[in-house]
Amino acid sequence: MGEAAKKPVLVVMRHSPYGSSLAKAAVDVALAAAAFEQAVDLLFIGEGVLQLLPGQESHKLGKKNIGRQLASLPLYDIELVYVDAEAALRYQLDIASSPVNAQLLGPQEMRQLMVGYDHLLGL
Amino acid sequence: MDALSAEAFDSEGFLRDLSLWNAAVAEQIAAAENLALTPAHWEVLELLRAYYHEYDSSPAMRPLVKYCAIHLGADKGRSIYLMSLFPGSPAKIGSKIAGLPKPDNCL
Amino acid sequence: MVLHTLNAAPSSAAFRDCLKLVAPDDAVVLLGDGVYAALEGTAACDELRAAAAALFVLRADAQLAGIESPADGFGLIDMDDLVALTERFERQLAWY
Repeated sequence: MGEAAKKPVLVVMRHSPYGSSLAKAAVDVALAAAAFEQAVDLLFIGEGVLQLLPGQESHKLGKKNIGRQLASLPLYDIELVYVDAEAALRYQLDIASSPVNAQLLGPQEMRQLMVGYDHLLGL
Repeated sequence: MDALSAEAFDSEGFLRDLSLWNAAVAEQIAAAENLALTPAHWEVLELLRAYYHEYDSSPAMRPLVKYCAIHLGADKGRSIYLMSLFPGSPAKIGSKIAGLPKPDNCL
Repeated sequence: MVLHTLNAAPSSAAFRDCLKLVAPDDAVVLLGDGVYAALEGTAACDELRAAAAALFVLRADAQLAGIESPADGFGLIDMDDLVALTERFERQLAWY
């Protein structure tokens, strides 16, 4: 048991949206947990930040649009997601154009963030 | 217009080819669910389709309620209201009638 | 306190991402291609030691890779030890 009350789950999103099915799996897990009123937060690190690029066009590939699905997070009461600041810089990601409100975190802040959760899920 | 044949639907009654959907098909699916569509139903069905186009997914109950509250007002953004229109599982039955895929996160 | 199971080569994105999140009171277990970070004198080895976490290498995977003795600071463990670690740490992240 922690000192302070912990939040249940942090999903660590670390894969690019269409390079594998892992990003979709992570989004599905996050939405499923939230749909059942589980408190879930999302941390995008490394190539995972690419899920937040605006203007994704996945339909020609017959895939679900990860960017647009992430835009529905506020309807699941996930108002804010956390983003690896180094990766955002590396990929020149402008979080102001992200489909969901995002907060940039440095490595130290990310490590501190993780302490506040009962469970971590990396996908 | 002729009704669609049984092969047009999957085992749960969801449309296989979503491009075949139109108002008459919606009435056909609703009839199979023992529902007669009223303007109140259509208001929600159109919202479900808007949700699908905006977010590329069919909503679970929780986001559907919130989406209705945003677009139709607090009175209609309540699960009890949606239950009265689409008894049982509003997100699932509503998506079915609206010609959308089955929501991922519905029991 | 997080147990990181690191099954990715030192040059991989997963390895880099893991390094970013390792905190001093965490533990890191190298397995699969991750064991190459236990080669003494490599940058990956130094970076992991700088993270100040408890460092382990799965013995069978190290032997398979030809790493008879891992770099200083890395403990060799067997599968039973890994299971014990998973019981000790309430939270885990798998990197692959």
